[in-house]
Amino acid sequence: MKRKVIAALLCTSMAITLMAGCGSNKKTGADNASDTTKTETAGDEGNADADAETETGTTEKKASGEMLTKFADVPEDVDKEQTLRYAQGADPRGLDPAMIDDGESSKPICQMYEGLLKYGDSDTEVEPCLAESWEISEDGLTYTFKLREGVKFHDGTDFNAEAVKYNVDRQTVNKTEDMLYADFVYGDVAECNVVDEYTVEFKLTKKSTPFLNNLAMSLGAPMVSPTACDAANGNLNEAPCGTGPYKFVRWDKNEAVVMERNEDYWGDKGVAKEIIFSTIPDNSARVVALTNGEVDIIDGIDATVVDQITSAGCLLYQAEGMNINYMAYNTQKVTDPDVRKALSEAVNIPELVDSLYKGYASQATSILPTFMPGYSADVKQTAYNPDDAKKILEEKGITELKMMAYTNPRPYNTATGQTLAEALQGYFDKVGVKVSIDSYDWTTYKEKLGAGDYDMCLYGWIGDNGDPDNFMYLLAHEDPEMNVALYRNEEYNTMLSEAASMENGDDRNAAYAKMEQKIADENIWLPISHQQNLSGYVSNVQNFIAHPTGNVFLSKTYKN
Amino acid sequence: MRKKQQVQTTGEALEKPESQIRVMWDTLKKNKAAVAGLVVILFFLFLAVMGDWLAPYDPEYSDMGHTFVAPCRDYYFGTDQLGRDIFSRVLSGTKISLFVGVAAVAYSLLIGTVLGSVAGYFGGKVDSFIMRCMDIMLSIPSILLAITLMAALGKGLDKAIIAIGTVSIPEYARIVRSSILSVKENDYVAAAKVVGNSDRRIIFHHILPNVVSSIVVRATLGISTAILDTAALGFLGMGVQPPMAEWGDMLGRARTYIFSAPYTLIFPGLAITLAVLAFNLFGDGLRDALDPKERV
Repeated sequence: MKRKVIAALLCTSMAITLMAGCGSNKKTGADNASDTTKTETAGDEGNADADAETETGTTEKKASGEMLTKFADVPEDVDKEQTLRYAQGADPRGLDPAMIDDGESSKPICQMYEGLLKYGDSDTEVEPCLAESWEISEDGLTYTFKLREGVKFHDGTDFNAEAVKYNVDRQTVNKTEDMLYADFVYGDVAECNVVDEYTVEFKLTKKSTPFLNNLAMSLGAPMVSPTACDAANGNLNEAPCGTGPYKFVRWDKNEAVVMERNEDYWGDKGVAKEIIFSTIPDNSARVVALTNGEVDIIDGIDATVVDQITSAGCLLYQAEGMNINYMAYNTQKVTDPDVRKALSEAVNIPELVDSLYKGYASQATSILPTFMPGYSADVKQTAYNPDDAKKILEEKGITELKMMAYTNPRPYNTATGQTLAEALQGYFDKVGVKVSIDSYDWTTYKEKLGAGDYDMCLYGWIGDNGDPDNFMYLLAHEDPEMNVALYRNEEYNTMLSEAASMENGDDRNAAYAKMEQKIADENIWLPISHQQNLSGYVSNVQNFIAHPTGNVFLSKTYKN
Repeated sequence: MRKKQQVQTTGEALEKPESQIRVMWDTLKKNKAAVAGLVVILFFLFLAVMGDWLAPYDPEYSDMGHTFVAPCRDYYFGTDQLGRDIFSRVLSGTKISLFVGVAAVAYSLLIGTVLGSVAGYFGGKVDSFIMRCMDIMLSIPSILLAITLMAALGKGLDKAIIAIGTVSIPEYARIVRSSILSVKENDYVAAAKVVGNSDRRIIFHHILPNVVSSIVVRATLGISTAILDTAALGFLGMGVQPPMAEWGDMLGRARTYIFSAPYTLIFPGLAITLAVLAFNLFGDGLRDALDPKERV
């Protein structure tokens, strides 16, 4: 049985070659980088200062890329036969906008579907889309939309007022349990009426300031083809059909969603002939795929790989992210607010955020990110105080707790849930609380959350519409997969619905600040960080914008 | 010369069983690779016993202010993503890997030997039943079976031992059964039966001592497999409950940082390789020494 020895030796040598391989790989990456940078600079502006000697300098200069805020015009001579490949960290949960609630599903959906309204290229100001114009009645309870004419769904069905009514009814009167965003988007809609073929009217139950913003969301709000939906028994997860610039081709589960240009699109047609959203769960594998040129754009970038991306000559898109990364206490299990306070005191948030996200995420001082309306710098979170925490937890006899975490990276937590959970475990350990971690992959995790078998869990939220209601509603939601703290508080719910009906302005912002403080005082969540939106792309990718909602709209993006 | 030695060994073994160990040791000593393996094993055993005392830091203490420190004077192997000292963690992992390796082998050895002896000695329907069950287990890839068991049992060292031990039961059962089949035809077994010894006595006093050598060899090699399986389970995040330091688990967590902080990955990886290699070399040497027939 010398074979075993030989096998062991082979393994060792393989490991060594692997390491050597990485080294040489990197080198080629750098070489490529200088090449591309050179051609780009020369081609673009005719700048001659990018000779071989200054390659590092050039790469660094170009590393963060130019952050577009508006899509530029697409040149005439661009290759219209190209394939654009985008890699993300998890497979979509589904491709029916009414049935899903996660960013990975939302990104492919944005290419295939559209709503009545849409957001600006890099902000959350609403703009006309399938609705050309709208009117709001005096009392703010009736919205009348004039629809765009001549639009067809991918299956040939006409888009008209009936189609809108079908979509709204689907998520209001005909709502099913699995429509996770129905309440977010249409919760205040009393009825939806067809006025004429291209005019539709919404009647609301109460004044709702976020309503217009909600209609531009990528979840819930996009319009699906009524014919296709009926044909698929009311679930388009596997057979998406919208009006967007790209049409669904196929979905290889856990591999890729493939879509092709919609040649009958009503607006500017997509540039790339084909867009592929591939799933590469492993952070480092995704980066390698980018630096090897297997994919053109990736997201979910962890701070530790930024250098690897830039040194391979790829560019980084870096923008403030509209998200929150938090740990929630299960308020049905950890019922004592003092215990929650003590646990929150145990965690040194600034240190944690600095070391996990290396400056690519900012410490969360409130649930709302700083640039959003409703954010207030006056909200006071529980401060780091391990001694007090230790004392209280000892008094209360808390020694063991159970935490649930996800294993993969998330857009609001690029360091992976597992790493964050272990870091938190370290802090709790220092105040004498042993925390056991149950971690599952994202899809399983969401199912496990529903069972509520945890004392605390990790979660996060990516804002969908730029309205504070979108974040704060989470704590009033009845679905345990959304409101993972299982917070049930009548007073809070009243505050929330009052704030939702206020006009945008200082009063409304103050109302949200008050709610933030209430949540902070009761220690329902432990807000951790706001992650920057980091995307990496190959240097020849043009016209790429990562939207603050975490979505990407790729119909104008192309490669030189 | 080989032949002569063989004759000698068998001859002596019949007269004075204790000198068999001496012969074995003499043969083993000549095998340089096996001696090296033994030395490394003893070194790891030393680390397992003294690890906690030698470790400069608490292996589970995370210092978020000092994450990803490259190997230096303060941290010999650097620190990981949570600011834990990798040197201390590798040391502490030695204890876990060796313990799981030995315990899993002991567990499967015990059950495997009993099942194998019963099957081999009694034969017939009992034999068929036991061995078909073993065949079924063997038909499932061992790591897959271990993962399934872990998924059913949940995380934890004790469960890892059961999972890893269970998957190798059939191997021991087979070896013991085949050895017993060949031994039980011997005259002295027949003699023992005639004298009126009970089945249990015959199995334990007359048959098993004669199959010990092949079991020992298999067990030594089995430890290395068990260490690898432990690491594999840990790598897949199913082995130990964090923050416990286990080599495979460290490797799995550090995988993300392979380019930015390779030291988080290299040292636990090296430890696994070394331990497995050592047990393999020693096991092979032991086989040569114990079982001269197989050297041909």
